[in-house]
Amino acid sequence: MLDEVAADTMITQTSDSLYTQLIKTAGERLSSGTTGSLDEIRKQALERFKAAGFPTVKNEDWKYTNIQPLVNQPYALEAEPISGGAAWEKARIPDLDAYRVVMVNGQYSSELSSDEEIPGLQIMPIEQAFERLCFAKYFTAYADKTDNPFVALNTASFTSGLFIEVGKNTQLQKPIHIIHVAASANPFFSQTRNLYVMGAFAEAEIIESFVTDDAAERSLSNHVTEIMVRENAKLQHYYLQVAGEQSNYLNHTEIHQEKHSLYNNYNCSFPGAAFVRNNINVRLGDSEVESHLYGIALTAGSQLVDNHTIVDHMKPNCESYEWYKNITQDTSTAVFNGKIFVRLDAQKTNAFQQNNNMLIGEKSAVYTKPQLEIFADDVKCSHGCTIGQFDNEALFYLRARGISEAQARILLIHAFAFDVTSRFANDTVRQYVEHLAEEGLQ
Amino acid sequence: MSTKDDALLKELALEEYKYGFSTDIEMDIAPKGLNEDTVRLISAKKNEPEWLLEWRLKALRHFLQMEMPTWQNFETPEVDFQDISYYAAPKAKPKLNSLDEVDPELLSTFEKLGIPLDEQKVLAGVVAVDAVFDSVSVKTTFREKLKEQGIIFSSFGEAVQEHPELVKQYLGTVVPQTDNVYAALNSAVFSDGSFVYIPKGVRCPMELSTYFRINAENTGQFERTLIIADEGAYVSYLEGCTAPKRDENQMHAAVVELIAHKDAEIKYSTVQNWYPGDKDGNGGIYNFVTKRGICKGDHSKISWTQVETGSAITWKYPGVILKGDHSVGEFYSVALTRNQQVADTGTKMIHLGKNTRSKIISKGISAGVSQNSYRGLVKIGPGADNSRNFTQCDSLLIGDRCGAHTFPYIENRNKTATLEHEATTSKIGEDQLFYLTQRGIDPEKAVGLIVNGYAKEVLNQLPMEFAVEAQKLLAISLEGSVG
Repeated sequence: MLDEVAADTMITQTSDSLYTQLIKTAGERLSSGTTGSLDEIRKQALERFKAAGFPTVKNEDWKYTNIQPLVNQPYALEAEPISGGAAWEKARIPDLDAYRVVMVNGQYSSELSSDEEIPGLQIMPIEQAFERLCFAKYFTAYADKTDNPFVALNTASFTSGLFIEVGKNTQLQKPIHIIHVAASANPFFSQTRNLYVMGAFAEAEIIESFVTDDAAERSLSNHVTEIMVRENAKLQHYYLQVAGEQSNYLNHTEIHQEKHSLYNNYNCSFPGAAFVRNNINVRLGDSEVESHLYGIALTAGSQLVDNHTIVDHMKPNCESYEWYKNITQDTSTAVFNGKIFVRLDAQKTNAFQQNNNMLIGEKSAVYTKPQLEIFADDVKCSHGCTIGQFDNEALFYLRARGISEAQARILLIHAFAFDVTSRFANDTVRQYVEHLAEEGLQ
Repeated sequence: MSTKDDALLKELALEEYKYGFSTDIEMDIAPKGLNEDTVRLISAKKNEPEWLLEWRLKALRHFLQMEMPTWQNFETPEVDFQDISYYAAPKAKPKLNSLDEVDPELLSTFEKLGIPLDEQKVLAGVVAVDAVFDSVSVKTTFREKLKEQGIIFSSFGEAVQEHPELVKQYLGTVVPQTDNVYAALNSAVFSDGSFVYIPKGVRCPMELSTYFRINAENTGQFERTLIIADEGAYVSYLEGCTAPKRDENQMHAAVVELIAHKDAEIKYSTVQNWYPGDKDGNGGIYNFVTKRGICKGDHSKISWTQVETGSAITWKYPGVILKGDHSVGEFYSVALTRNQQVADTGTKMIHLGKNTRSKIISKGISAGVSQNSYRGLVKIGPGADNSRNFTQCDSLLIGDRCGAHTFPYIENRNKTATLEHEATTSKIGEDQLFYLTQRGIDPEKAVGLIVNGYAKEVLNQLPMEFAVEAQKLLAISLEGSVG
């Protein structure tokens, strides 16, 4: 009994300590004036985070995702880098020719990144971008309007990150491959902030991979990415989550689209990282905008993958299309929460959302909440959701034709994922993802 | 939107609530306020046993500690619980033995509502009615006939006196006093309601029905319905409701509990037509109801059907706990909101037993500046092998200032379960309207036709006599609503 009490109090203490540690460090940095021009923004964000604190499961957005055990552990706010640093190779995509950007523990690594000069493309650590015009214009412009406390925390105290600007009319020949490596020898809480700006008529493809160094200690990364897609710009954006078990992620991506723009997000998670929470919010800020969100999560072990998306139709004549697939194995949990908003007067909106789940693991769980909030009448909106498992008849059909059970299952998973993978704009990435899906199946 | 539509919308807004009269009758009304004395007073008025008083007090104590929920998709009105009278009854003779003793004023009220309490006047043996006026049951028809088969159909108060053991055994087993704020409030101050018990193997020969009428001012209606179907029994039950037009909001916080034993089936239908308030949103009933059934035994079935057209705010989620293996839960709903009305309704299907099945069909229709939400939960427990759910929730929007929302929660922890959910939102098809008007049907009738077709899947579930009524109700509520 006594031990229990002791253990209890200890947990609260350490929880307090990460919270107080964060607040203290952020406060110190602010008072020492090292953050420069962002002081005021950071101060306000810190106040917002202080008011909200870490969310609990009582908070509707965190109902199925308990982050308390995660933030109740001690972390250092400074990483102890691991030498060697070949972990980024794990993210290599066969046959992919891309501009490479490697971020180690959230820090831009100039020696590991490719150093080509590309006309119209600016890639730099975010700290160096503070004085740029478009930074001032778009930084915190949209992400901080959401009530995600982790965004406020990130704004208040991010230490590093990446700034990408694809200039007006620039069409990149090769994709940008960003590799986030978790490689810290101590338990590390990282706060990374990215801002990507797509100029008018620009076209680009950004692939982001998440990997972990084998020697890395556990880590929790609070990652906020803001993306601005200007008029007529097109962005294909991939998230490939292949990190190791000791890595945990809180990713918030906020996209704002201008007229005639296109944004496609392909969000793939595979067995590995113990805890992954993605918030992907797309704001269709003007008319004639198109957005596609595709997701596939194959989970194993005791993983938890939680995808929260918001598709916000703010103006008329826009189209959105969302399709998420989850496959849960073992005791893993998949959460999907998809919100579609159609604001007042956003007439002629077409919004489609689909979520399919295969629950394979004996003790695995699927929690899904596809929701629609519609304030305009001339719209076509639908959502669908299914939960099922391997179709025994299909399995039998394949086995009767001499295909082994394992092969048959792989085939069926391919078929299940096909709705999503077939939409991939990049064939090389599609093949890579299909291969990962195959490997991830037991 | 065309001007023609505008004109029709205006007309719709002006459509009168035809049950808005009030009855001038001598009433026995408890003083306003909520405390232990109120509860004791109600309990004493009803001559209740000690255990029930204790049960009520426990609920009250719990209620006083509870906070109002904030998750709902509308602004909860500030309700001053001390400004409501918790007991109102027509002053009448202590015990009514025959219809002649019922106040003629009351009889004529129900007559006006189309609920004849005179058994001779009712089509022989089709429906047995329990009429509840404000807080108390006025008259239950066909009691003797039902008694022959061992069926108990009486007001809740009578059941407490005559069958205390049954009431004690089942009361609060499906909706505990602590379930939610309004269930706790109801448990503390409920005044009457209906009680039904169908014995083993009996198929109830007629539809049972309760008719609720709120009349008095500044009162809340808190009735409690308890229906028990013993092994192999069957019952179909219907409730209907109206209230006079008043400028203030009135509260209706009922609790309904259904218990289906092995092989039993309960079919519960609601046609809800409380006063919805005027077109500016003044007045109207707050309909905050907790309804839940439990399929206790194997192969049992509970089916909820609701047609919701009234109330300023409707806030309820009739649910089924599927505990017995092979049990079945169904939910069919049509919710129509117009003017400033708000509906936040849906269902909860909790699958616990093996091979359980549930089906949810929800049709929302919003017009004017109303907000209509579907909120549902489908939960599959780890032990609910091979369970199956199908959910369909559609929304129809009439006018460009209304809202339709869907919040489905789907939780699955069993690998053998199969779940499907689908939802669509759209406005009335221009092509459908065109097709009908082109054939000489005026737009108003065309909309009625389309909406009835849209809601048909649900209306078909109602007992025949009420399906007709519900269809008319939808048509009246919708009159002129082309968008």
